[in-house]
Amino acid sequence: MAPHKQSSSGGSHPVGFGPGGKANGFYQPSSAVAAAKKPNMQLIQDDHELFLQAFEKPTQIYRFLRTRNLIAPIFLHRTLTYMCHRNSRNNTKRKTFKVDNLLFKVEKMRGEQETHSLASNLQLTFTGFFHKAGKPSQDCENEQNSVSLEVLLIKVCHKKRKDVSCPVKQVPTGKKQVPLNPDMSAGVQAKPGSFPSLLVPSSEFEPSNSHMVKSYSLLLRVLLPGCTQTQINGLTNGENHHNFTEEVVNRKRRSSSLREEGETTFVAQMTVFDKNRRLQLLDGEYEVSMQEMEECPISKKRATWETILDGKRLPPFESFSQGPTLQFTLRWTSDSSDRSTAPVAKPLATRNSETNQDTRPCTLRSTQTLALKESVNTDMQTRREQISAEPRQKLRILYQFQYNNNTRQQTEARDDLHCPWCTLNCRKLYSLLKHLKLSHSRFIFNYVPHPKGAKIEVSINECYDGSYAGNPQDIHSQPGFAFSRNGPVKRTAVTHVLVCRPKRTKPSLSEFLELEDGERELQRTYISGHNRLYFHSDSCLPLRPQEMEVDSEDERDPDWLKEKTVKQIEDFTDVNEGEKEIMKLWNLHAMKHGFIADNQMNEACLLFAQNHGAYIVKQNLCRNFLLHLISMHDFNLVSTLTIDQAMAQLRLIRSQATQRERDRQEDEEEEEEEDWETAVESQPELDPDPDPDPSEYKPYSEETSIPFVLPP
Amino acid sequence: MEETAAADPTPGIDAAPPTPRPPPSPFAPSRSLLEWRRRVKSEYMRLRQLKRLKKAEEVKTLFMSNRQKIEQQTNLLNTEWSKLRIQSIPLSTFSGSMPGKKMCTVEFGFPGFKSQAITMRPLSTVAGIPFMYSWSPLQHNFMVEDETFLHNIPYMGDEVLEQDEAFLEELIDNYDGVHGDREGGFISDEIFKELVEALSQYSDHEEEEEEEAVVAAEAAGKKEDERVMRRSSKIPNDKIFTAIASMFPYKGTTEELKEKYKDLLEPPDPVKLPPLCTPNLDGPFAKSVQREQSLHSFHTLFCRRCFKYDCFLHPFHATPNVYKRKSKEIRMETDPCGVDCFLLQGPKNLWIRICYGHRGLGDDGGSSVPPEGKEGDSDHETTSSSEGNSRCQTPTKLRSGDDDGEQQACCVVQWSGAEESLFRVLHGTYFNNFCSIARLIGTKNCKEVYEFAVKEVLIHRVPLEDGGISPQKKKRKHRLWAKIQLKKDSSSNQVYNYQPCDHPDHPCDSSCPCVMTQNFCEKFCQCEHECQNRFPGCRCKTQCNTKQCPCYLAVRECDPDLCMTCGAADHWDSKVVSCKNCSIQRGLKKHLLLAPSDVAGWGTFIKEPVQKNEFISEYCGELISQDEADRRGRIYDKYMSSFLFNLNNDFVVDATRKGNKIRFANHSVNPNCYAKVVMVNGDHRIGIFAKRAILQGEELFFDYRYSQADALKYVGIEREVDVT
Repeated sequence: MAPHKQSSSGGSHPVGFGPGGKANGFYQPSSAVAAAKKPNMQLIQDDHELFLQAFEKPTQIYRFLRTRNLIAPIFLHRTLTYMCHRNSRNNTKRKTFKVDNLLFKVEKMRGEQETHSLASNLQLTFTGFFHKAGKPSQDCENEQNSVSLEVLLIKVCHKKRKDVSCPVKQVPTGKKQVPLNPDMSAGVQAKPGSFPSLLVPSSEFEPSNSHMVKSYSLLLRVLLPGCTQTQINGLTNGENHHNFTEEVVNRKRRSSSLREEGETTFVAQMTVFDKNRRLQLLDGEYEVSMQEMEECPISKKRATWETILDGKRLPPFESFSQGPTLQFTLRWTSDSSDRSTAPVAKPLATRNSETNQDTRPCTLRSTQTLALKESVNTDMQTRREQISAEPRQKLRILYQFQYNNNTRQQTEARDDLHCPWCTLNCRKLYSLLKHLKLSHSRFIFNYVPHPKGAKIEVSINECYDGSYAGNPQDIHSQPGFAFSRNGPVKRTAVTHVLVCRPKRTKPSLSEFLELEDGERELQRTYISGHNRLYFHSDSCLPLRPQEMEVDSEDERDPDWLKEKTVKQIEDFTDVNEGEKEIMKLWNLHAMKHGFIADNQMNEACLLFAQNHGAYIVKQNLCRNFLLHLISMHDFNLVSTLTIDQAMAQLRLIRSQATQRERDRQEDEEEEEEEDWETAVESQPELDPDPDPDPSEYKPYSEETSIPFVLPP
Repeated sequence: MEETAAADPTPGIDAAPPTPRPPPSPFAPSRSLLEWRRRVKSEYMRLRQLKRLKKAEEVKTLFMSNRQKIEQQTNLLNTEWSKLRIQSIPLSTFSGSMPGKKMCTVEFGFPGFKSQAITMRPLSTVAGIPFMYSWSPLQHNFMVEDETFLHNIPYMGDEVLEQDEAFLEELIDNYDGVHGDREGGFISDEIFKELVEALSQYSDHEEEEEEEAVVAAEAAGKKEDERVMRRSSKIPNDKIFTAIASMFPYKGTTEELKEKYKDLLEPPDPVKLPPLCTPNLDGPFAKSVQREQSLHSFHTLFCRRCFKYDCFLHPFHATPNVYKRKSKEIRMETDPCGVDCFLLQGPKNLWIRICYGHRGLGDDGGSSVPPEGKEGDSDHETTSSSEGNSRCQTPTKLRSGDDDGEQQACCVVQWSGAEESLFRVLHGTYFNNFCSIARLIGTKNCKEVYEFAVKEVLIHRVPLEDGGISPQKKKRKHRLWAKIQLKKDSSSNQVYNYQPCDHPDHPCDSSCPCVMTQNFCEKFCQCEHECQNRFPGCRCKTQCNTKQCPCYLAVRECDPDLCMTCGAADHWDSKVVSCKNCSIQRGLKKHLLLAPSDVAGWGTFIKEPVQKNEFISEYCGELISQDEADRRGRIYDKYMSSFLFNLNNDFVVDATRKGNKIRFANHSVNPNCYAKVVMVNGDHRIGIFAKRAILQGEELFFDYRYSQADALKYVGIEREVDVT
């Protein structure tokens, strides 16, 4: 009997699969079990080893892919048919859509903003600056128990054509002394009026003429004199703590090497109006986590998903218990005394509520730096509970991990429908199962109905071969090309039909039940065809998609063969050069066209004369060509008609060539033309020399121009 | 020192056969011989060094030109692709996608040294691929001769195992020798000549040898007076040859070497060709030669089966003068070609009489010239079966009375050697059609040609038509079916290579090689067209892919010169032919792709889906003899990889060195393809066909055992699978 362990963790956070922490998140269940009963520690250790062996690698891979998909999604889950409920948009408006609607909408929105932004001033009342990891401010015996705070309004303007980056304007709004680590536990503080307060006039938020302001944000800068540096290490999570860019190691080095004067600057930035001119700060009490100022903060634009692997990310709210924070109250007032009229803005609640779940990329990218306390009464804890209570069905899902040849199991329970690997909220059991099956094929998931909800058996898919079913061109030459960091790239176009309208069955949970052996055969892929990378047979280089259509290596006359036949003929010692030349020409011609039948030969010879006639005339090979034709005739391959036609073609080419030659000469010396012609005419009969003169062969005059002497 | 050195050369001298002229005095020359031997050695080494440097230089330039070629090709492709808006292939100089972003720094511990930084250039990963020996692409079989010399000792891995050593010894025994064995003593004609020339420099400075040298030179000079020797006035000292002979004993004796040197000294005159060679007819030195001589090269080198000169497949080419002309199409010009045509000159009836008088056909009416192209078997060769320059040996002197007049005309018109030769050549084809001959010669008119013909006395009678041909087609058809059936029954897997038969005197009976090897006579055979052993082709109007088609039944592809109805002879330019039984000859192969196999090594994949029995590709390679295949197979067996494919009893196709993409198809006991040896226009060729419908992108397999009972022994991986 395999030991059956069940460790249920009823917590709202999924044990082991939580968004934070290291990849091998399975540590907790077994340790919990170990603490419970099992006497044999060694056995447990071994079991744990086996468990890790089976599930660690794939889990790491899927964790990695999850993060990558968040940063640079290849597809959106909401576009999948089985996730259609995630798609909040519907197309009903499309029918009535008109282009003018867009303009109308924008105009309306602008009008709205104008009204409220003009109306009110921003009033900030600072409660105190809190620092020292979790400790009460007892050791704060030193002279100052206040820090100096500077508030700047930062206006990020629209980029003009010539600007390299967005122009930024900093408007100082004032400096205040804020108490350091005031004792809040005492509860009863001095009157609100005693706290330092700052007013940002509404005029600041009006659009200025020179630059269109894109967004406004408040920069809070706290100057802490003579503070011990070492304690701040790693806890200085400020504005970027939602980005995955923090490198603790990096920071440690920096902060330790930091300024010796003993002054530390902490900064925090809060967006007042975002790019779309939406108000982000509502009335309320705020606690801002401050970040230690660094010389060169990591640019957000270069944020990459790799750093998560070696960086450690703090859970969102931990920083508030430890890190330096600044507490203040924010109010929008129409005048300095009135505190009732906060500007009406778009609700932030929907966005903020999901911040805690870490599910949507948009949330992750937001530079929201603050934890908002809606009211003084609302506690973090209660808020969280509200969120976790959100799923409609109260389902319990038991994941039963089977390993070591299915001899061992571990069970984990979850109360939500988030994917344990992606933390994707699937919201429906069917969607979850479908997602698991399709996105995590390194495992086999079998669904077993369970009275409380569902049981999912998870085992390692031994048949998973990692075979690549995508575009084969993506595998080679440019690793990571599809995920280029330098902006969009043009991909090689490949038409790739994956599935041709498969019959879509009604979604039902029964499809996830364990299959009979016979049915596995039916699970063949829809994709057939070229799902692999091909290579050129001559160079072993990968075949690029545009080279697929033509077979570049099927030529009848590869270069080496042409060279070979030329060389072979050249090697004959008892064949004269004219014959060789014609034979080579003919062989190349025959190889190119691949003649196979006797009855092709007439055409072949004519084609030869047509294609190579000019060369034959130029190289003075006409008689050899005639010999070749006669020889072909002797072999019964061509008719005399073909010989006549081919030679006529040659004569034509020759006469054209002579004509051209003559034209050129005419241009040069027109007077000499007659002389030349008579010379040609008289040549045959006047030439008494029996020795053939080489020059005689060069100017081939047309035979028509040669007169002959009549016999007496 | 002297003693040991003297003892050394003696074996060398012993090895050389006794020279006809031994060194004059045994004592003094032995010292000078030693001296010479030393010189020979040093000079030889120097020359070889030079050669080596030259060769290295050549390789270098070749390499550079190759690099350039690659670059050009890449640029060409890139420009083409950039037009198609496809991303280009990054050249090796490409700095990567993010230039200058990452820097590599080398830091030194010492303050004196600056740290060095350079931009990092990431190289893209290259997909790992299976191992592949280089090979040359080919779309048609290529016959190679047996290799009696082992070109290289096969590499069996770094560790030479004992059984390997034994294997190698046995292997080397199979061959006459190993290439490059005589590395040290190798001497080519070129080096030899240079060596002698270099050594003769020494002899000039040596006084005591001077006399002798002069004497030798004089003697040689007298002997070879008629030979042209422009470059050196005298033959170098005998000493030199003696020394060389002792150094390179296998090269021959002193005398032989001397003769050889003299031969080599012959000036490499571009004009002067070997005696057998006819001068270029287009060149300035064209001579007046007989027809056979002019056409000799064309006749002997042309392969009537491949339509190429000196083809790659057939070592033996039949010369055409034993062929019968089947086309009876000698056209006679009935109309004069111009006002000066020879037909209009002189009495017309005279000409007619010349031509046809002896046949009694002469009508004396100019209009009734015999019907065109109906002269019957007009080839001259049929009348005189003797080979050689038959045309000139059978002069038929008809008229002697007119000689004087003709002579006069000939005196006026000068005929060059080329023209004369050309006339004889053309006359063998065009006979008395002087107008055509004149037009083809180009530089003479028909009257001059006619007159020359008269002078040459080459006006032929046109031979009589042969007796009527009795068609026996009905009988033959029955016999054909019987024959195919007979072959099938008695097949016993003995398929012999086809060789055109040539037995002029008797018909194809049991002594005919075609009949003996159970092959049909083909159009290349020298036998009668009506030969009983000839395959008549099919008259199908369908696709010729069932056993209804006699060609298909006889495992032959349709012959485009025989099967005129099925479409094998049509649509040369298109890939769509109605006849499905002519794919190999037309090369209608499927587009194949190469990729790492799912089974082992490389594999062949098909681009588009094919139906059952469709032709996929021809299995091409080197055509080697069975003996050669045995020798090669032994090595391939050791390598556990073989591309040998039995073609017939005489030949094997080996795709190791040359082949096409189908060579990468792997073996399977449950294959999707099958191989079939088909007779294609006289050649056996291997076709790979689809055994079942194959989807696109599928890997191709066929059963290697089809042709070779022991093929499996070459297939390492699969064999092991089979055993387990």
